[in-house]
Amino acid sequence: MADYDDENEQQMDCALDLMRRLPPQNVEENLVKLLEILPEMTEDLLSAIDQPLKVRQDSHSGREYLVCDYNRDGDSYRSPWSNEYEPPLADGSVPSDRLRKLELAANEAFDTYKELYYEGGVSSVYLWDMDDSFAGVVLIKKVNDGTVKSKGSWDSIHVIEVLEKGRQARYKLTSTVMLYTVASGVKGDRQNEINLSGSLTRQDERELPAEDSGAHIVNIGRMVEDMEFKMRNSLQEVYFGKTHDIVNGLRSASDLSEARNRERLQRDLFGQLKGRKD
Amino acid sequence: MSSDDRIAKAASFLLHSPPGEVDDVFNDIRGIVNDDDALQAQIEPVLAESNMQQFLVVEVPGQQSTVLLTPYNQVSESRYLDPNTGTVFTFDHLRRIASDPESYNNSADENEELRAALQTHLDQYVANHYTNGSVSVFAHEGAVVSCIVSNKFSPGNFWNGSWRAVWSFNPAMAQLNGSAKVRVHYFEDGNVQLDTQSDFAGDIEAGRDVAKKVAKMIGQFEADFQQGINDGYRQLAERTFKGLRRTLPVTRNKIDWEKIANYKIGGELAHAEN
Repeated sequence: MADYDDENEQQMDCALDLMRRLPPQNVEENLVKLLEILPEMTEDLLSAIDQPLKVRQDSHSGREYLVCDYNRDGDSYRSPWSNEYEPPLADGSVPSDRLRKLELAANEAFDTYKELYYEGGVSSVYLWDMDDSFAGVVLIKKVNDGTVKSKGSWDSIHVIEVLEKGRQARYKLTSTVMLYTVASGVKGDRQNEINLSGSLTRQDERELPAEDSGAHIVNIGRMVEDMEFKMRNSLQEVYFGKTHDIVNGLRSASDLSEARNRERLQRDLFGQLKGRKD
Repeated sequence: MSSDDRIAKAASFLLHSPPGEVDDVFNDIRGIVNDDDALQAQIEPVLAESNMQQFLVVEVPGQQSTVLLTPYNQVSESRYLDPNTGTVFTFDHLRRIASDPESYNNSADENEELRAALQTHLDQYVANHYTNGSVSVFAHEGAVVSCIVSNKFSPGNFWNGSWRAVWSFNPAMAQLNGSAKVRVHYFEDGNVQLDTQSDFAGDIEAGRDVAKKVAKMIGQFEADFQQGINDGYRQLAERTFKGLRRTLPVTRNKIDWEKIANYKIGGELAHAEN
């Protein structure tokens, strides 16, 4: 039995390392392949590998919500608006009454947050009870179909674990932003496409006063807002700074022989000046 | 799924490996399959395809020369030609070892004169535009095919990048066709990849100095490709990215969460407390 566990652990580690290397552009396709190769690890793989969020519509209210592994039970997904599983599930797990009220309030708060920062898009918050505390996830998705020439999508996944300790609470936040950007163009009969995509993950941990449930929303809200502010800067730097510099390091647009000649000339000049001084 | 299908499926991940990470991806596949003997029996052709896809730069045995491994100089299953030194050699794709050199006289080959001249021009061009580039020109099925590769691997700084281009000149049609491709992998606390490719085609005027004209057009296409990438980056940063999420709300202030909590949800939560 111990051998079996070791083997599974090794396969899981390798599967996760592999997914960190394979093109994020094909994350869904690669995950399907992995599930076919390791069917016995389906549940573990689905919960460990982030996929782009999908939008569904609540059949009661018509409001859109996001689905992911956190609101999945079997083949059904729970809507944060109606608290119902779709397709219906008789014994699908739902949060306790207290947590459901907090969940509704958090959904309203992040709906406002989403409007102010994303000016569109869809958001969903899901909470679940833990032994003597709770955890949750804040999801936001914004798609920019833009023009024919460029399109993009932003998916935020903020997983938060809350440990309530009297009038204080400890919040552990793990945030992943998946950003897909594609520019395509046709010049004459030439086609080209630039696909710059992927994800970054960051963590934060804070201990904050939490005298009532409302304080949880304020605390989680601030942590998510600060995190997204930082991550937006990191994404900008990594995507449009670092990877761009790497491209221009692979090929020099200007002729290197000219630069080399200039260097040689400078060296010679320096040598002459030095010679004159001596 | 049968065990063989499972292994074949796992092995195929190798062909999607980012530049400079084939060994890491190979080790992951090994760990996932967890059956070295079965994997070994199937991996060789996939490794061969991967090495040729990445234009692996190989030292020609017995020669002070390097050549790229490509589908255009593969003469049999595991034998490759270096036309510049007239050497055919065996390549072991698993161990990445070249051996058994044999000289081969290609002076009478179709297009050899043009091929050799283009190699000289492109050697100069690659030296002028790549700090770490390699180019091999091959005569292949009536055409002259030029393969260019430039890799920069910096795993310690969490990135790897590769530029690859293949240009095929058909003397009978006087036409140059080809494509250039760049892949970049950035992986500090994440997995971000650039994948871009462009196709190009142009007519070469017949007459003297054909090799020089072909080399010049290749240089122009590659410069256009690079310029196109720079333009694309600007567009993605200035339009696409900015259109997804604002830095701050229109008010230029962060959100007043106390206010949102009180205004929107005060009533709801009062109930929750009881």
